[in-house]
Amino acid sequence: MFEWLEYSSLSIWVGESLWGYPIMLSLHAIGLAIVVGIFTMFNFRVLGLFESIEYSAFVDFFKLAWWGLLINTGSGVALFCSQATFYVTNTPFLVKISSIIIGSIIAFRIQSSLQLNAEKWDSKVTEPGSKDYLFAQSSLLLWACAIFGGRLIAYL
Amino acid sequence: MAENLIQLLEGSTLNIWILSTAWLWPLLEMLHFVGLSLLLGAMLVIDIRLAGFVQKMHIRTTHDLLPVAGIGFLINTVTGVLFFVGDPARYTINVGFQIKMLLVLIAGLNALWFAIKINPEMHRWNPYADTNIAAKTVAYVSLVAWFGVLLLGRLIPYVSTG
Repeated sequence: MFEWLEYSSLSIWVGESLWGYPIMLSLHAIGLAIVVGIFTMFNFRVLGLFESIEYSAFVDFFKLAWWGLLINTGSGVALFCSQATFYVTNTPFLVKISSIIIGSIIAFRIQSSLQLNAEKWDSKVTEPGSKDYLFAQSSLLLWACAIFGGRLIAYL
Repeated sequence: MAENLIQLLEGSTLNIWILSTAWLWPLLEMLHFVGLSLLLGAMLVIDIRLAGFVQKMHIRTTHDLLPVAGIGFLINTVTGVLFFVGDPARYTINVGFQIKMLLVLIAGLNALWFAIKINPEMHRWNPYADTNIAAKTVAYVSLVAWFGVLLLGRLIPYVSTG
């Protein structure tokens, strides 16, 4: 199955054309900055930094974050297909992809909680609970693992 | 001048340490990516609000993110200098690296302009409204410069020397 992926026309363009690979890498870096950047700022907010920023402001930024994740899913699939048989046996890649899958599920849970509670948190009726703290900490850790795994693909 | 710098760095104690420590380069890369996430994440939120979007966000609260951007920039300056000292000949002549440094300079001057011209009058603005054209210009220059830095950095291995 993975060998077949490497022979698809997208894989051949990414793998063999002059600009296919660098274009996909560039998109992947931009998407990374958007997704990890925005969720990191929100997680810091939940964990006690920048207390003057209203939680409700992040509802709009999360929409942008999902676009970042979409860019990275697209570019990531293209990069994966170009060397599928290498990636499926590469430990850092497997750490990275697992972190991203769990990180995305947690990001979705974070967003659900935010949409439900943003106004109550902003008006100090309630504050983020232990589950929200746990999500924020896990989210920071998982995006960091995704970055570390991604960087180590070329080395291990 | 470039030749002198390369001669000065190549063979220096720091240069030899960086090149002979196998785990250091990947560690620096990981830190450089953490730094870029902090810097660009903070700047993205600051600049999007400064460009007039997300008007339900009090505009001056975005200033609280500046220390995070600063820490990200600091991490990437330190790790970036170590990359450069580790392989000065490669970076000096690389067009991608040269444009990247130019963009960092533009982003810095733009931030200085913001601090001198825009920031002092921000307390007079309606904090939950659209922004003026000067603020929008600073915001878009900042976004284009920082994402340009990211892009050029990623392309360093793929562009030719100049």
